[in-house]
Amino acid sequence: MRKTRILFFLVMVSLVLAPLAAAAQQTGAPPTVKDKAQIEAAVSAQAAPTQQAKPAPALTRDVNTRLSTAEADPQAKPGAPAAAPPAAKKPAAKKVEIKRTEPIVPAYSGIREKMAVIVFYVWLWFAIAVMIYFLRLWIKEADRVYKAKYYEPEESPRKDNPMAPVLGD
Amino acid sequence: MKIDMKKFAAWFDDRLALTPIFKYMTKKEVPQHEHSFWYYTGSSILLFLFIQIVTGIMLALYYKPTLEGATDSIGRIMTELPLGWLVRSVHSWSSTFMIALVMIHLLAIWFTKSYRKPREATWMTGMMLLVVSMVFGFTGYLLPWDDLSLSATKVGTNIPMAIPVVGKWVTQFLRGGDDVTGDTLTRFFLFHVCILPLVIFAILVVHILLVQKEGMSVPLKDEIAKKKVPALPFWPNFILREVVIWLVLLGILLTISLMFAPSLELTADLMAPAPEGVKPEWYFLFLFQTLKIFPANMGPVTGEFVAVVLILIAVVAIFFLPFIDNKPEGKKGKIIAYLGVAGVIYAIVFSIWSLL
Repeated sequence: MRKTRILFFLVMVSLVLAPLAAAAQQTGAPPTVKDKAQIEAAVSAQAAPTQQAKPAPALTRDVNTRLSTAEADPQAKPGAPAAAPPAAKKPAAKKVEIKRTEPIVPAYSGIREKMAVIVFYVWLWFAIAVMIYFLRLWIKEADRVYKAKYYEPEESPRKDNPMAPVLGD
Repeated sequence: MKIDMKKFAAWFDDRLALTPIFKYMTKKEVPQHEHSFWYYTGSSILLFLFIQIVTGIMLALYYKPTLEGATDSIGRIMTELPLGWLVRSVHSWSSTFMIALVMIHLLAIWFTKSYRKPREATWMTGMMLLVVSMVFGFTGYLLPWDDLSLSATKVGTNIPMAIPVVGKWVTQFLRGGDDVTGDTLTRFFLFHVCILPLVIFAILVVHILLVQKEGMSVPLKDEIAKKKVPALPFWPNFILREVVIWLVLLGILLTISLMFAPSLELTADLMAPAPEGVKPEWYFLFLFQTLKIFPANMGPVTGEFVAVVLILIAVVAIFFLPFIDNKPEGKKGKIIAYLGVAGVIYAIVFSIWSLL
């Protein structure tokens, strides 16, 4: 019985930790200097559209945020080229406030993300099925112990140890 | 290495004196009969409340309750923070699940007449919890500060205006002025994250203590026949069964949250006209439709006034239901049960009508 409980506990811990670890790996990488250069170029293009042959790609608010983060931390990526010295620093690009014109609708960004969600569904329901299987064993045992009146007598271990039905005698 | 769980438990027990609680839990029994399933709805509500608290705290870390920042901060949560959209979706869906379960729980108690003596106060605190849960939903609906939530809040906060004497004051109090503005957003946020949680916990503690004091009710016919209903220990037999239900509900919640994550509309424009098809949350739809069917004027008073007064009378009557239905086994009890069925049908039909 105790082994079943320990196994159940371990399964639960691993099933809970698995998606957390996966989610942690998906955390967005910090903006790099390369990102900053790209963002600045995009912002300049947005600020002066007449100088461009083609219309600049629409900026999202994400770009502004990444730009401000990149400015605050230009050494975000250790292997990236060093930032220019302060004297040679270009004048900061004007931050462009872009008003959102469309609702934000959560959607899969591609087949890979869609597959990830399907895998998550399978994992989720599999994990639930496994946990219910172990819980069923536990319930059966608890019912059997109750029907057998194992903890009924006055001298029962339950008298001094109320957690006995769960933790064992 | 062998872990001595008894020593571990004893360490906590020495410091927190948990033995009396565990002793109580081992002695507590849950009746087993054909309606036992409804007992699980109570604990499931607590599960969703817990999810609400956890996801609500996570959202509050990044949410900005200002006119300029509200929509953008939610946009940031959805687009930039890892799994932020999922946290928001779970928060939104678990509120729906919670209110639905509170309604199911109350209806189950209504139809099994478990509110009968000596559980009148338990019913009344339960009704208070339903109202507070709905207010939670109402205040939370404005927080994204998009066109739809602004218009729905304008309509919602305008309704108390029809209440005699105090109506105008209530509306001004809710809005923080004559109209829905940034002040409304700030106070709704304050209500949502500070005042209402305190209120719900205070009522919840009383409700749970009353449930523990009176125990779980048995079916009316068994009580009349003085039949001994078989029971199951609460700990661990019943708790383990509850965990199974919780796991299934968690699975459904996560599946729905992933499949139907809520979107974020454009930032509300205070000067813009109300968009078409303004709808409140689903649990207010039947009330919304009820208000719509009343004519503008009914003699010396407005139709809205009549509707609001009728709704208030219904709410007060439901609140004092155990005292109205003081003989649940008699003819009056049957009529009240049929009224409950009629009420459910009315709510469903009017909600669907409102959506058409």
